[in-house]
Amino acid sequence: MLTALNTNGDDQETLVVVFLRGGADGLTLVPPIEDDNYYRARPRIATAKQDAVRLDNLFGLHPLLAPLQPIYTEGHLAVLHAAGSEDDTHSHFDAQDFMEHGGEFAAGGWLGRFLRYRPRPGNAEAGGPLSAIALGSRFPECLRGAPSVTVMQSLDDFALGSNTTPITAELDRLYRTQPDSLASAGRDTLNALARIESMRNNVYTPANNAAYGTDNFSQGLKQTAQLIKARVGLEAVAIDLEGWDSHFGQSTVVEPLMRQLAQGLAAFYADLGPAIHHTTTLVMTEFGRRVQENSSFGTDHGSGSAMFAMGGGIRGGRVLGKWPGLAPATLTGPGDVPVAYNYRNLVAPVLSRMGAGPQLKSIFPDFAFNALDLYS
Amino acid sequence: MTLTRKHFVLSSAAALTGCEKLPPALRPSFRTLEADTGSFSAPASDEVDLISHVLARVTFGSRANDYGRIAALAPNQQEAIHLWLDQQLAYESIDDSKLDRAIRRLECLHEPLGELFEFKPKHLLQQMTRAAILRATWSERQLYEVMARFWSDHFNIDSSKGDCKWLKAADERDVIRPNALGNFPALLRASALSPAMLWYLDGRANRKQQGNDKPNENYARELLELHTLGIDGGYTQHDIMEVARCLSGWTVRSVKQLRKGAVDFQADQHDDGEKLVLGHRIPAGQREQDLDHVLAIVSLHPSTANHLATKLCRHFIADVPPQAAVDAVAQCFLTTKGDIKAVLRTLFAHPEFLNARRTKQKRPFEFVVSALRATQAETDAGPALTDYLLRMGHAPYQYPTPEGYADRSGPWLGTLLWRWKFAVALSRNAIKGTTINLETCRKSFGRDDNLIAHLLGRRPDAAERHAFARLNSSAPDGLALVLASPGFQRC
Repeated sequence: MLTALNTNGDDQETLVVVFLRGGADGLTLVPPIEDDNYYRARPRIATAKQDAVRLDNLFGLHPLLAPLQPIYTEGHLAVLHAAGSEDDTHSHFDAQDFMEHGGEFAAGGWLGRFLRYRPRPGNAEAGGPLSAIALGSRFPECLRGAPSVTVMQSLDDFALGSNTTPITAELDRLYRTQPDSLASAGRDTLNALARIESMRNNVYTPANNAAYGTDNFSQGLKQTAQLIKARVGLEAVAIDLEGWDSHFGQSTVVEPLMRQLAQGLAAFYADLGPAIHHTTTLVMTEFGRRVQENSSFGTDHGSGSAMFAMGGGIRGGRVLGKWPGLAPATLTGPGDVPVAYNYRNLVAPVLSRMGAGPQLKSIFPDFAFNALDLYS
Repeated sequence: MTLTRKHFVLSSAAALTGCEKLPPALRPSFRTLEADTGSFSAPASDEVDLISHVLARVTFGSRANDYGRIAALAPNQQEAIHLWLDQQLAYESIDDSKLDRAIRRLECLHEPLGELFEFKPKHLLQQMTRAAILRATWSERQLYEVMARFWSDHFNIDSSKGDCKWLKAADERDVIRPNALGNFPALLRASALSPAMLWYLDGRANRKQQGNDKPNENYARELLELHTLGIDGGYTQHDIMEVARCLSGWTVRSVKQLRKGAVDFQADQHDDGEKLVLGHRIPAGQREQDLDHVLAIVSLHPSTANHLATKLCRHFIADVPPQAAVDAVAQCFLTTKGDIKAVLRTLFAHPEFLNARRTKQKRPFEFVVSALRATQAETDAGPALTDYLLRMGHAPYQYPTPEGYADRSGPWLGTLLWRWKFAVALSRNAIKGTTINLETCRKSFGRDDNLIAHLLGRRPDAAERHAFARLNSSAPDGLALVLASPGFQRC
């Protein structure tokens, strides 16, 4: 029987941020199959209308993203097209930094600031020991400035070390009798360690026959689902899916990634079951690709791309916003999908719902919000 | 500068990150300091005595020889502490050559402003972090280093914002450190004109060229709210706007301009009309002197005295600072016109300070450094070590918003897991670039009980003694337990 961790609360809303690094092509992920300009610009690499998985009277999903269709139909997945940031450098590094910091001159990362500012049950000032996790080997910029982040490749990263059971037992005795906040902080930490320990010792069977892949992205989401269900107080997760920079032979570059993305998210959705209601997943990329395909069956750095929001009580089953179209006069820069929707306007309603509404101006400084209506 | 120069800087920065592979004698740019050796005395009472108390608050934690050295200054502890604090306040006379040798190769500490831009930001931040840890760990001028960290938090600048990537190194060196035990108005003025601060709080973008230009109020607001008067200090939104007008036109050259990092006053971007700040009229036509008018109004304002006294007392006495001490410190601040040494003298002499034994919890930086100091660790303060600080959310120069790292225990309660992991890794010598010699530690204190008393600043209680005894078959884990225990989290 699990007991609630003191500071984190078992009904904790969890935010999972998936970053598609390398500039993922929104026109491939979610092709506008009723826009003739799309087919004119992409004579060789467009998705044929009959191959796409239709979402509405304009857009379809790439066929490899078909596993996402049921989530969309069930109302737990929304798409935002022509989305991105105001960074126009077309540089991966700059654009990723911009998006993760939440502005060119923002200090630290937006997810880090969110974790500093978000309200918590009982007015706790900090999340629990397992509140923020970055999956992978590096510390992502979006989590800079967060209190207490674990960069995790496996659950072993949470262990104190090998053979630490005797120390843990003594720490339990010593912290238990403290007269102040150290007692509850010690108890929370020991509980978290115990839960992680039992997770490590038991083979995890995903619920509802969720079929995760063997790739790192799927495995990361599987561990995330496991932690969410173990109720260890997980507040935010950052996970990357890298390699979307498809200048050359686009299909061979992005098709394996789309398989991983779709399989991972679909398995995560199935596995979470009812926990999907308090787990919001946001998928973003630093920029999209040029509308016109290039001579080597690829696309070059562009601007607007697609974003996804899944779960957490959103009203999905729709493509948000108004499609600006791909008419030559509409395109920006060297021929890019314009950024009709700033990514912050999709993130903001999610953070507001988690109670950080009054702090939005600190989380995303110097930004005039025009938040999208994600929930009604 | 020449290419050769740039190449030299970059290659030695690279060497800093890769030098761990070389044997110590061959490391080109860095070497660790050796542990103190000898035999040392430990606190002998069950409760934290005066020397242990002052060491816990006024330093980054006791080194092996600290307790004995202070005790030897005078026949009784009060007198010894009095003499020792006098020494610490006269920090310029304390020989720190050992530390100087250790950090001499950290170029960011010496490079002229413009040449800081030659660094890769990542390497520069690594060097700055290294310097902060090594100074806290090794400096004999402990109070001075504690105050440098205090002011670095008070005038917080996140090095990840814009050109602060390069300029924060200059701010720490040219603004914070020269004034850390100086006087507050001088520190405040240096900060107001710090290139990094002009970037961080957007002062550089505060200009009025045309009639309808709105000044950028960011710095003006934080100047009043955080740096001087405090949030309840009695200013209004109108005061903020007037201060912003006074400071308009001060800017800093960006990395893309000539004379990068230079601070200029641009008269054509200054609002030169009359202003009214906190009831004081500043006549029109004063140009750059508006800045000094504003600072004269705010730097020694009674609200500023109260705000700074509150923060100092929170830092040195308790999370909820006792009013009597705050009042005494604020009074001294006003009488001495912001003399930081005098203010600290008053604080350290106050009964509320002297009696506040173990009422604070160490923050992660203090926890890590105090563990290094207590165990006589040799460390390169490299990435493997600083990773722990990053994961506990307390790496120097990386707090995103202007209020600086919190100085209360609440926001840090979620960091125990990483403290424990650090305690185990340090004790088992599992942190790359950081080593301890447990046997030397044990020998120099004679008995393990004395070593524990040194670590905790008092004799262990029955529960601690039993817990340690049960683990004693594995000495590194015994040490890990003490470092991870509640007693070692307190100061």
